[in-house]
Amino acid sequence: MTPMVDVVMLLLTFFMMTTQFRPQEEVQITLPASHSDFKLPESDVMIVTITKEGRIFLGVDSQHLRAQLFGEQNKLRPEVEVDKEQLGNLFVQARIANPKLRAVLKGDKGAPYGPVEDVMDIMQLKKITRFNMVTELEKT
Amino acid sequence: MAAVETGESKSAARKAGKKHRRKRKVGVRIDMTPMVDVVMLLLTFFMLTTYFSKPQTMELNLPPDEKSTVEVAESNLLTIRVAPDNSIFWCMAREPAKNIEFKDLHSLLLERNKSNPKLITLVKIDRESTYKMMVDMIDELNLANITRFSLAPMNEYDKRQIEKARAS
Repeated sequence: MTPMVDVVMLLLTFFMMTTQFRPQEEVQITLPASHSDFKLPESDVMIVTITKEGRIFLGVDSQHLRAQLFGEQNKLRPEVEVDKEQLGNLFVQARIANPKLRAVLKGDKGAPYGPVEDVMDIMQLKKITRFNMVTELEKT
Repeated sequence: MAAVETGESKSAARKAGKKHRRKRKVGVRIDMTPMVDVVMLLLTFFMLTTYFSKPQTMELNLPPDEKSTVEVAESNLLTIRVAPDNSIFWCMAREPAKNIEFKDLHSLLLERNKSNPKLITLVKIDRESTYKMMVDMIDELNLANITRFSLAPMNEYDKRQIEKARAS
């Protein structure tokens, strides 16, 4: 049995080291595909999610910042629905709290372009000139 | 659970000869079954919960200020318009718009970029269109190595151009 245990232990360590738990999501998003192979940074991200229905959610990775932005009761929620009007102020607050924050746009494949355009306008207005769009890798 | 096996007295072992050499050693036997059970359980857990592909991202730079305008020669301007039904129309400068299939876009962009390296591409997507179209368009531009492009809101003039292209 020893060799088997050895192998199993090895596999176990491998999976334990490589695993990353997918953060819980408020809404289901189907990502569009692209050929870009730039990886999403693991920390210091601010994710703007746009659902199929055009609803906008904002999420940040640190719990502390979430409490600051959305109030103590929303601290444990990964992302919170926001209005377009609030978004600008939240961007500014978030970036004051953590200047390293990167904006990430995560839109559903079927999301209408209108809200996306609005979010980009708000980003531009708040001087967030660089952002990333989450996509799936397209295999061709 | 471990069992310790003590060897017999030396003389007895010697008598038994080579056949029973094992018995001479002091061996510790550990019952590994419970450990293996737990390890297997953990292994299955990690195997099922793990996912390898980290999401990919596409980077996009926005011009710093909305008021800043850049003068470009009209002849260098390639406009691509996306209608609400996701059909694509393209035109150079102020030529009438022409319809194009998405699959042909790549070759068009390559050809345009080759014939005019100073090309500036303007992508106008209708608000009713989908986010997927925007990602696809930017992806195509990136694939064609066109780094100078901008996204512009669609106005009435663009809509009229699309209507005209559809009619013809």
